[in-house]
Amino acid sequence: MISVQKLDKHFGGVYAVHNCSFTIKENAITSIIGPNGAGKTTLFNLVCGIIRPDAGKVLLRGKEITGLPTHKIANEGISRTFQQARLFKNMSVKDNLLIARPASDAELKEVLRKVHFPLDMSTKASELSYGQTRLVEIARALLKPHKLLMLDEPTAGVNPKVRQELKQILFDLKKEGNTIVLIEHDMEFVMSISDDVIVMAEGTVLTRGTPKQVQSDKRVLEAYLGK
Amino acid sequence: MAFINYLIHLGILVCIYSVLTVSLNLAVGFTGLLNLGHVGFFGIGAYSSALLAVAGFPIWLSILCGALLAGIAGILLSLPTMRLKGDYLALATLGFSFILGSVARNWTDVTRGALGIPGIPKIVKGNVEFLIVVAIIAVISYLIFWKLSRSRFGKTCEAIRDDELAAKMLGKDTFMHKIAALGISAFFAGLGGALFAHYITFIDPSIFGLGDLILLFSMLIVGGLASVKGSAIGTIIIFLLPEPLRFIGFPSSVLGPAREIIFALILLLILIYKPRGIVGKVDLA
Amino acid sequence: MAIATQLILNGLIAGAIYALVASGFSLIYSVTKFMHLAHGAILALGAYLMYTFAVLLGLNFWLAILLTLICSSFAGVLMDQLVYKRLRKRKASGAVLLIASIALVTLVSSLILAFWGADVKTIPMKNPVFDFLGARVTQIQIIIIVTSIVLLLGLWLLMKKTKLGKAMRAVADNKDVAQTVGINPERIYTYTFIIGSFLAGVAGILIGIEQNLYPTMGLSLIIKGFTGAVIGSLASVPGAVLGSFILGLVENIGIWWLPSGYKDAIAFVLLFVFLLIRPSGLLGVKVREV
Repeated sequence: MISVQKLDKHFGGVYAVHNCSFTIKENAITSIIGPNGAGKTTLFNLVCGIIRPDAGKVLLRGKEITGLPTHKIANEGISRTFQQARLFKNMSVKDNLLIARPASDAELKEVLRKVHFPLDMSTKASELSYGQTRLVEIARALLKPHKLLMLDEPTAGVNPKVRQELKQILFDLKKEGNTIVLIEHDMEFVMSISDDVIVMAEGTVLTRGTPKQVQSDKRVLEAYLGK
Repeated sequence: MAFINYLIHLGILVCIYSVLTVSLNLAVGFTGLLNLGHVGFFGIGAYSSALLAVAGFPIWLSILCGALLAGIAGILLSLPTMRLKGDYLALATLGFSFILGSVARNWTDVTRGALGIPGIPKIVKGNVEFLIVVAIIAVISYLIFWKLSRSRFGKTCEAIRDDELAAKMLGKDTFMHKIAALGISAFFAGLGGALFAHYITFIDPSIFGLGDLILLFSMLIVGGLASVKGSAIGTIIIFLLPEPLRFIGFPSSVLGPAREIIFALILLLILIYKPRGIVGKVDLA
Repeated sequence: MAIATQLILNGLIAGAIYALVASGFSLIYSVTKFMHLAHGAILALGAYLMYTFAVLLGLNFWLAILLTLICSSFAGVLMDQLVYKRLRKRKASGAVLLIASIALVTLVSSLILAFWGADVKTIPMKNPVFDFLGARVTQIQIIIIVTSIVLLLGLWLLMKKTKLGKAMRAVADNKDVAQTVGINPERIYTYTFIIGSFLAGVAGILIGIEQNLYPTMGLSLIIKGFTGAVIGSLASVPGAVLGSFILGLVENIGIWWLPSGYKDAIAFVLLFVFLLIRPSGLLGVKVREV
């Protein structure tokens, strides 16, 4: 689905991402994990065109999207949520969703049901709890036509109940044919839902494999604890 | 009789300024672009139309050209200022209107500098007729802005105001939207300026000054950001507020600054105590 | 040769005035993080108060200066307490504070217009002219340059060596962290406004003596002041000073080619260009865009 090849990005002499390469399979849930500063969010930003790489390529289903402006990459089929949920706070949930694409009330209600959003869609975004803003952000990303769903720390800051619901939500999305990549720190979450885990450290891919393989890999433990 | 004339005069100004306010609202309230150079567009519209009309062009063509030139200026201003954040954007747009003011004062071959341009032809002979003309233009403008506010374009502009990055991530070309918003906003400001010039029949570089900027922002914020009807309400209230002063018998040398003092105080009070204004949807970010 | 010297000298004198304005403005910006354009209003108040005390009331010159400086410092603090502090409590953004400060400038200009009238005023003072390397310099101009240097040095010493200066720099750097080490940001803001407004008051007195007084002088000068600050670096006082001297020189050398009415336009264009190309200023840290 998406292929990252030898991506480099440095800020003021320090490499945030260096010689990073991997490919993401379609119709699977892939998690990217790694200690703080490993370059995970930078990687997301590079893929989404928010920052430009110094070297390397990004390909979406074979088509090169490196260096395109963010909105063009979004229109190529990438939907992404952010580390801190970014809703349009002065608009209602409904208006937030409609920015993704025109949709009937029925379609909106359906996508909100998928993410287990409990409130009425006329609620103002500023009145939602943090967990609820997360759900709406995911719903909005879903509504937008996409080939790939990128979620940056979807469980950060949400209560345990919402976290469990998110597991179910992601499973259901995968069953429907979605390709999902997520950045996560919650190991239990990662290990229970991922098909594939990529471990990043110091800006590049350290290793990858099934949750079981990664969990028993000594290098991963070292990366987290610091050598 | 004199009182009726006075009311007509007020009505004309309210109509003209209400168009200015709602156009400023598109840029500031809906799109989140803190444009302090709006008086610049007003002035461009006024000066272009005045110069063309005085040179012999048909009046309606002059007004249209004034508005178009202002709109183009808006597009041109938005290009380099696209990436500036909040207060820097405000300063740059303010600088823009200062530059225009300086050009108006110094390019004496064209603008006659501080002497201004007198003898601008009126559109219709009587003031009552003119009131009807500007009222119609105001109503049409408001309808246009109302439709815009409910359109996809308007909603996308609001999204850009709230979170530009999220809007981009949803596939929106935020640059084009911001350029369009500022261009449309400027066009209508220029239209207002042209109408103003043809009513007062004399303009000078003071049109680019800060006094009008404070007036506009008072009207905008009192009425409420991101609310089309708020702009009309705000304009009416702010215009009407200092009028009783005329009847108290202040000498005219005090009347001028007294109005400005009132506008400045209102703006400050609104910013401190009721930044949403009367029917506003958003706080000034 | 004499012309060149004269232009450069004029540029340095203008630069010194702008530096006095810009330094206070930049000080306030670096600590409070917003653009206090009403700084110009304090300047204008200073000039008109000096006029009132020294000319209208005929007080002793030094007494007039003292009273003026006390009043301007107080006026600055008053603006902060009555307007900015309340806006800060509402978590208003820098942009809102900017608009509020524009409202304050207009308010004060109109008050000045109402109370003192629109006609141009002067503060008369003995002013012998000297010859310096073929150029003319007046005594007042020399006083301006000397005063600027002294005050700016004093400001530098204050910021670098005193406890207050260190606290101000701490708040400028990171308000929240400064709080954790026991610094009270609100008190620091107050001191900042006192010092900044004091400088504005001095600038107002000097300008009032050297040039004329007119109701909108505050606006004209703060524009030059913040242009200088933007050129050098908004958030750093030395940068603001450097930028101010650059502005003064460019303006005065520039009008050799352009009609003198365009002097202001030069400043505005420089402001606009710098905001677009290098908003962090010549000395500032490059602001990265998200």
